[in-house]
Amino acid sequence: MATLTWQGSSYLTQVKVLTGRSLRKFVNSPALIFFSILQPVIMLTLFSQIFSSITATANFAPGMTYVNYLLPAILVNTAMQSSLQSGVGLVTDMKDGVIARFRSLPIRLSTILLARNLSDLVRVAGQLLLMITFGVLVYGFNPAGGVLGTLAALGLALVVGWGLSWLFLAIGSWLRNAELMQTIGFLAMFPLMFASSAFVPIQGLPGWLQVVAKVNPLTYAVDAARSLALAQPVTGVIGALTTSLGIAVVCAVIAIRGFRRPL
Amino acid sequence: MSELMIEATDVSKSFGDVRALDGVSIAVPKGSVLGLLGHNGAGKTTLVNVLTTMLPPTSGEARVAGFDVVHQSYKVRSRIGLTGQFASVDEALSGFDNLVLIARLLGASKRQARDRADELLEQFDLTDAAKRPAKTYSGGMRRRLDLASSLVGRPEVLFLDEPTTGLDPASRLGVWETVEKLVSDGTTVLLTTQYLDEADRLADSITVLSQGKVVAAGTSAELKAQVGQRTVTVTLDSVSEVDTAVEALTGIGMHPVAEGRTITTPVTASRELANVVRALDERGLEPHDIALGEPTLDDVYMALAAA
Ligand SMILES: Nc1ncnc2c1ncn2[C@@H]1O[C@H](COP(=O)(O)OP(=O)(O)O)[C@@H](O)[C@H]1O
Ligand SMILES: [Mg+2]
Repeated sequence: MATLTWQGSSYLTQVKVLTGRSLRKFVNSPALIFFSILQPVIMLTLFSQIFSSITATANFAPGMTYVNYLLPAILVNTAMQSSLQSGVGLVTDMKDGVIARFRSLPIRLSTILLARNLSDLVRVAGQLLLMITFGVLVYGFNPAGGVLGTLAALGLALVVGWGLSWLFLAIGSWLRNAELMQTIGFLAMFPLMFASSAFVPIQGLPGWLQVVAKVNPLTYAVDAARSLALAQPVTGVIGALTTSLGIAVVCAVIAIRGFRRPL
Repeated sequence: MSELMIEATDVSKSFGDVRALDGVSIAVPKGSVLGLLGHNGAGKTTLVNVLTTMLPPTSGEARVAGFDVVHQSYKVRSRIGLTGQFASVDEALSGFDNLVLIARLLGASKRQARDRADELLEQFDLTDAAKRPAKTYSGGMRRRLDLASSLVGRPEVLFLDEPTTGLDPASRLGVWETVEKLVSDGTTVLLTTQYLDEADRLADSITVLSQGKVVAAGTSAELKAQVGQRTVTVTLDSVSEVDTAVEALTGIGMHPVAEGRTITTPVTASRELANVVRALDERGLEPHDIALGEPTLDDVYMALAAA
């Protein structure tokens, strides 16, 4: 038997190298970087300007600025929206033939999914940090929780995004259709976003929307992030973390199964 | 008998109602080239996918480099290179980064990976384009990068699925020379093609696939002999002799066709050439030229694919 040139790589190396690849692709693409910065900036600007008078209503605590209320929610929101890109990115790689190449190599298929998930996590972390900096410098974001509270909110948003990234990887590996995923993602996220406590306190919503908002998981994630950033009594943090973890575990299993099917 | 590097036994693969492979068996000895010839939809890609562990067969068994493609797929993938029908390179990465990535995944250190990438870029004439994203490459360059990608780990068995389809003549020749070089270094190659000249030039043995079945197998010479059709072409000095000559050949049971002052007639064996000469001689005809034509692989292909 002829000797192999190399003896194969470890699971860890595979994840590391593949994660590096995805990040490099991102860094190589100025347009992608530009838009992933622009999107949260636009959101922050639009919402903070449009809704700033809301703080005058009875549902807001006195002295609360809207940007302090809004930014933790936008952190969660952005993490959620970016998680859709995990699935879309995976499907795009499948279509481009890159996955076909990887599949012909002696590597574990799950490393491809894990790398996608991790590289998106790094990307979103950068995005969120930037958004916080922007919020502080331009809109005077200055929450009661201070730096620690803000970082805790950011961490929570990342965990939520990480869990949802597995959800979209699972959908992507079974559906294998980028356009369909974008559409489904958009249709699902829009109502989730607005029928929640993200932009206004739930008490300020019409009755039927309040009902929806109260069963909307995003409400709980947003409330948890907000409670951390604003140094309010901490609510639902454990719930948000365990739910995200649960979604991640279940969806990772489903994702790997779907991904194992031949191209 | 030398060691078999590819061995498929009665492999079938169905996609729903479509029987893409129907009891295919092949055997490829170490260091040789098998040409898998067949029209679109014959099942070439499906067979390559089964042999490279990309698709599980519906039934049958296959071993590559001594390992079972279903139960030892990891070991098989450690020993093979695959250049699929459609280029699979990362368009957003440079040629260099593409190759380094693969080397790293195969277990090379960073240093080894860079050295191997440089070596292959040089070999495939891509050094100048090494740092550019692959999406800026021409079709031929992309193919070469794809081929280079499948050679990073110096595979023992190389699978090439229509490696030259859509390439310009110069790039085609380049691919051929690469394959010949690899084979001279001991690599076993299975290549699929729709081109006869390609199979004729590169393959030690040829398997003709049609509708998922092997319809013929052998060396290119054996296949030609199997078809049996050869032609004798007689060129006469003047048109006036043609009628006599046709009569003479029809007289010995042949089916000549005349055109101008040349006559062609199918024969089944080369010794029939003597009969042609004798029949003409008896009528006092002295041909200007007489030639025995080899059947082309084209004839083989037509005859078999039609059957
Ligand atoms: N994934 C698939 N699903 C359904 N049918 C398929 C699939 N792949 C191939 N086929 C069918 O199997 C047959 C053989 O295809 P293929 O192996 O691609 O042929 P070739 O490579 O010789 O052109 C064709 O009829 C094709 O339509
Ligand atoms: Mg094909």
